Amino acid sequence: MNLSEIPIRVEPNLAEEGLGGGVKALLHEVLTMLERLVSTGTEGAVDLRSLPMTPDDWQGLYAALGEGGVDAVFESNGRSRVRETAVPGVWWIEHRDADDNVVASFLEVTTVPPLLTTDLVDVRAGIPRLRAMLTQAGAQAPFHGGQYDG
Amino acid sequence: MADSDSTQTVGEALRAQGISRRDFLKFCTVTASLMAMPPLAGRAMAKQLASMKRSSVIYVSFQECTGCLESLTRSFSPTVENLIFNVISLDYDDTLMAAAGEAAENAREAAMQKNWGKYVLIVDGAVPTGDGGVYHTAAGKSAEQILAHVAKGAAAVVSIGTCASFGGLPIAAPNPTGAVPVSDLVTDKPVVNISGCPPIPAVVTGTLVHYYTQGRLPDLDSYGRPLAFYGNNIHDRCYRRPFYDKGQFAKTFDDEGARNGWCLWELGCKGPVTYNACATLKWNQGTSFPIQSGHPCLGCAEPGFWDGGSFYAPLATGKWGRAGETRPRDMAFVAGAPAGIGAVVGVGAAGWARMRRKHLEDKPREEED
Repeated sequence: MNLSEIPIRVEPNLAEEGLGGGVKALLHEVLTMLERLVSTGTEGAVDLRSLPMTPDDWQGLYAALGEGGVDAVFESNGRSRVRETAVPGVWWIEHRDADDNVVASFLEVTTVPPLLTTDLVDVRAGIPRLRAMLTQAGAQAPFHGGQYDG
Repeated sequence: MADSDSTQTVGEALRAQGISRRDFLKFCTVTASLMAMPPLAGRAMAKQLASMKRSSVIYVSFQECTGCLESLTRSFSPTVENLIFNVISLDYDDTLMAAAGEAAENAREAAMQKNWGKYVLIVDGAVPTGDGGVYHTAAGKSAEQILAHVAKGAAAVVSIGTCASFGGLPIAAPNPTGAVPVSDLVTDKPVVNISGCPPIPAVVTGTLVHYYTQGRLPDLDSYGRPLAFYGNNIHDRCYRRPFYDKGQFAKTFDDEGARNGWCLWELGCKGPVTYNACATLKWNQGTSFPIQSGHPCLGCAEPGFWDGGSFYAPLATGKWGRAGETRPRDMAFVAGAPAGIGAVVGVGAAGWARMRRKHLEDKPREEED
């Protein structure tokens, strides 16, 4: 692999972005939450829709936090998106309704948002389904040495 | 009407219907945000609701048009708000239930006895008390008697819509049926008013969810309405506010101002004195609200809006509110000088407008020709 093929993730330089006062204050709050997460394990969150943010503030916040490596989307009465920002542990979560209107927007400071985890109750509910699928597959096409008969 | 398996938790009932924990967590998170609760409250809400048994709700209707129930139940696609019906067990609603007559009444009695002291009573419609209450009777009982009976074992009462909250249309002058709001008759239980003609479904949902998760009604304003939704007036959240501030007003429904979406103050908008979440939550899953559709706000979430004079007379004419009734919160605005209007509109000008209107009303008809 030569140098130009090494993937590079750009860390946003907050000092150069010219952040508005509201965004700076918000990021200071997020910083405090991150420090608390590391020292005590306490998670935090900010409801972005409760803040008086201008369109410039939204853009500034998005630019400042950047995008991380995880981007998950799920459908539930509208699309919801869970993205880790370029700041590890800071997740941007956006919920939309069936008409694609944003109904909630949060920053969560956590190692992994609960929305990305699977409840054990759901896991238990899925086991019989997989078992039934395997049983059916086994009945229809016997498995021989790693290959299914056609 | 109600699910027969009352031992199921809400979480179990949701899973049985294919609604995942993730779906429910989203619902709770969005609802908590709507209620201006702390950001992580949605998680606690989801956990608490999922583990509780479905709570009994009894819904009774009196002098109403059914618009409130339609608002809550009708949607073109499953909505977040509809999920509330998975949290509650709607044990009685004479509009929705298949049973009728004595079977329906017996179902209500059974639900009341089984959940005595714990069920939530939802009421829509005003209650007629004139002439012994004959203007609304069911199963031989007047609305007043039914309300008194059903409210006895309720943990809380939710008045849905302006009719139940403040009397609405039935109480409008001359109030021929002696209609009164629910809160005039139920004085020994917590009562929350979710006014609006009809109210926004998310407001109903949010209030119920708050009650079930916090064990109490949300903080209320002086009219008994949840502050989270009724704490701001339409004017202060209206997207046409910049036009008001610049003095750009539509003067007719088809002029240049109307076509450009200018402020509807001069066409009678009651936004400045109306407290509701229409401008932010909007209607039909956030599609629009009256002002966005080009019609001035009627003030339908406020007491006495039907008696507030013409829907198309500007607030400055001073007719808002029932005769003899003043509400300091509103009159302070009407008496002030809205920015951007060329002439100062104060109490003096409002008084002049009243005098002129009375002069026109009193003038013999032949003189108007």
